[in-house]
Amino acid sequence: MSLYNFKKIAVVPTAKDFIDIILSKTQRKTPTVVHKHYKITRIRAFYIRKVKFTQQNFHDRLSRIIQEFPKLDDVHPFYADLMNVLYDKDHYKLGLGQLNTARHLIDNVAKDYVRLLKYGDSLYRCKQLKRAALGRMATIMKRQAANLTYLEQVRQHLARLPSIDPYTRTIIICGFPNVGKSSFINKITRADVEVQPYAFTTKSLYVGHTDYKYLRWQVIDTPGILDHPLEERNVIEMQAVTALAHLRAAVLYFIDPSEQCGHSIEEQISLFESIKPLFSNKPLIVVLNKVDVVRPEELTEPKRQLIEELEQACAQGNVVNADSNSELRTVPVMRMSTLTDEGVQEVKIEACERLLGHRVTEKMRSKKVDGILNRLHVAVPAARDARARPPVLPPAAARRLQQRAERLARKRKLEREIELEQGDDYVLDLQKNYTEIPEEERYDPIPEFWEGHNIADYIDPDIFDKLAELEKEEELRIAGGMYAVPKIELDETMREIKDLARQIRNKKAILKDESRLTKQSTKPVMPRTSRARAKGRSASQLRDQMEKLGVDMSESETAHFTRTRSRSRSLSAPASKRARTSSASRSVSRPPRDTQGVKDVAMQRKAKNLAHVAIAKKTKKMGLKGEADRFIGTKMPKHLFAGKRGVGKTDRR
Amino acid sequence: MRIETCYFCSSRIYPGHGIQFVRNDCKIFRFCRSKCHAAFKKKKNPRKTKWTKAYRKTAGKDLAIDPSFEFEKRRHVPVKYNRQLWEKTIEAMKKVEEIRQRRSNNHIMQRLRKGREVEWQRDVREVQRDISLIRSPAAGLKQRQAEEETEMEVEPETIQVIDAKGRKQVIEAPVMVPATGEMIEDCGDIEL
Repeated sequence: MSLYNFKKIAVVPTAKDFIDIILSKTQRKTPTVVHKHYKITRIRAFYIRKVKFTQQNFHDRLSRIIQEFPKLDDVHPFYADLMNVLYDKDHYKLGLGQLNTARHLIDNVAKDYVRLLKYGDSLYRCKQLKRAALGRMATIMKRQAANLTYLEQVRQHLARLPSIDPYTRTIIICGFPNVGKSSFINKITRADVEVQPYAFTTKSLYVGHTDYKYLRWQVIDTPGILDHPLEERNVIEMQAVTALAHLRAAVLYFIDPSEQCGHSIEEQISLFESIKPLFSNKPLIVVLNKVDVVRPEELTEPKRQLIEELEQACAQGNVVNADSNSELRTVPVMRMSTLTDEGVQEVKIEACERLLGHRVTEKMRSKKVDGILNRLHVAVPAARDARARPPVLPPAAARRLQQRAERLARKRKLEREIELEQGDDYVLDLQKNYTEIPEEERYDPIPEFWEGHNIADYIDPDIFDKLAELEKEEELRIAGGMYAVPKIELDETMREIKDLARQIRNKKAILKDESRLTKQSTKPVMPRTSRARAKGRSASQLRDQMEKLGVDMSESETAHFTRTRSRSRSLSAPASKRARTSSASRSVSRPPRDTQGVKDVAMQRKAKNLAHVAIAKKTKKMGLKGEADRFIGTKMPKHLFAGKRGVGKTDRR
Repeated sequence: MRIETCYFCSSRIYPGHGIQFVRNDCKIFRFCRSKCHAAFKKKKNPRKTKWTKAYRKTAGKDLAIDPSFEFEKRRHVPVKYNRQLWEKTIEAMKKVEEIRQRRSNNHIMQRLRKGREVEWQRDVREVQRDISLIRSPAAGLKQRQAEEETEMEVEPETIQVIDAKGRKQVIEAPVMVPATGEMIEDCGDIEL
């Protein structure tokens, strides 16, 4: 199982917990009730089931643990070595082996006791057998207590190991403690490794990821290595050595020329010499860190000498054993300061480039290359003739490019810079950039509206000419009297007519009002046929009316209208009764209204026709009810809609 | 900032008032108040809605075509500020406004003056039709009869007249009698 992620291992319970879990499971998941009077086969089956169930569970759980823990032979040698360093390979293997034996023992116990249970003759005996079986299994597990705790600790530590992919592009940082390896990784990746002034702050491997050329790079921070032989190295240093030994990565060896790490340059260089074998076939870069403290050039004589020697050796290529790749012979020595960020990116780029180159060369050498090369093809156009045709830049384009470069180069003072300079008394004044407008006018508030009109709509270069034209025309119009109010003089007849019309209108209004009032009144009305009341018409009233209409009534004392029947009859003459017979035969009846006032039959017929046509026109036009249409006077006559029935029901009427 | 005109009623929209509607064909409709907006949504035609300026112009009630209207035009190219130009323009604006007002008022007054003729026609017709409400045909009869007796030798002339109902009639020429003071009131000159 080549897992780089050991987080999925099941929890290893302590011995006590283990036993409790299994036994409570047995109790819950198997039948619990058995009585003395059951059949013996039933009792035996009951207890056999319990024993077998317990054995099964122990077996399964232990198998699971054994399987989930990584087999050191199956994982990448880097992880195998790392685990050996951290947990001791022998102890680890022993532990797992003991669990395996325990499992085997439990199976045997179960087998034996099941065989015995088959011949149990009473409930009590079967029960005791089952109790013995489970007890023995539990004791076996109790003996594994120490083992289980160890394995649990291993599991927890394994889960926290950084997930390092041994096959991808990796950069390893190594060197003495406190030279600035963790600061460097903090700078180039998002890893947050603790940086402290004491040695061995970093106690294990840390992984960070960085990007270069659209690829992901692993950066591994190692604990510092001290200069003593391999046998004397402690666990922490061994982790660094393991990483160096097994991962094919670019190596950055850090040197601190300022000796702030507490070790001299000689010691650092001697360490370098001693772990040189680990750098074989790996792109190596020697990095001089902390140049902000002291530059290698400013060092005292012996130290500077050492550095120079090292540089020379590196340049010549005598340092690293790299017979497979001649490129790896020269080792660059770079200067860097993680505090001031000087040279950090250069170191990273150099390391990445070297590793990429190395990986490509390695791939080229392997058999897989052909498969890739077969898919690559660079097309080059065949030359037509011997004439050389170099790329040409037309002069306009060249000029444009030059201008663009100039524009970028030209630096204008930004408004922001001015703001920062002036601080509190900075005022944003946009009008200062209006260079085409003269100084005095620059800061004018520009009016926009006047009386609801936009001034901008009137701005026109020819406005003054147009205005002059308009004014001229206006003057002509005024002179011509267009705006003069015409005086209207009515002649006499028109004045007369106006006045008469006014009087007529007044009279009409009065008549209208009177008729409206009489129509509105709800007083009882005498029928038409009754005679007009004598009081309503009198001679004096007639005289007044006629005077109003302009008739001269001054000489009308003896006019006919004064001699009414009532007046002409003297008061002395007694009232004579009218002869009834004479009145009956005389027939004083009134003619019907359609023949009253009509001259002759022809006229009568004409009038009738006229009346008919008038009504018919209206009904036809407006769709009104005519004479031929059904007309129901009362919709609900009382006699039909009120009262009880003699026989029958009243729900329908 | 600009004072816009309402699409519906053509009144002025000051900043901060009204609603703007942008149609899918990118035409912008501005409304001065919800009355115009609601009318627009009801698809009313402003040229037929009596109270809008558009109606008044198309129906000839307000002056529509005149050189004084061409001064106010929406310009698409802004002109750089120049104090003198701006000052002169504002003065010109005021003059143009004055002239325009005078002309539109004149137009309206011309229109309203035609009502006077209509009134006079109406008065004449009314008098012709309904004179009997205030004057009886017998008014002044006695006097006329008295005078006729004195001027019996004169031949009465006949003239053809068309009376109020439009019928042709041949009647005697009326004798010109100077009107008496009581009948007709003196109104004096009327300033119209």
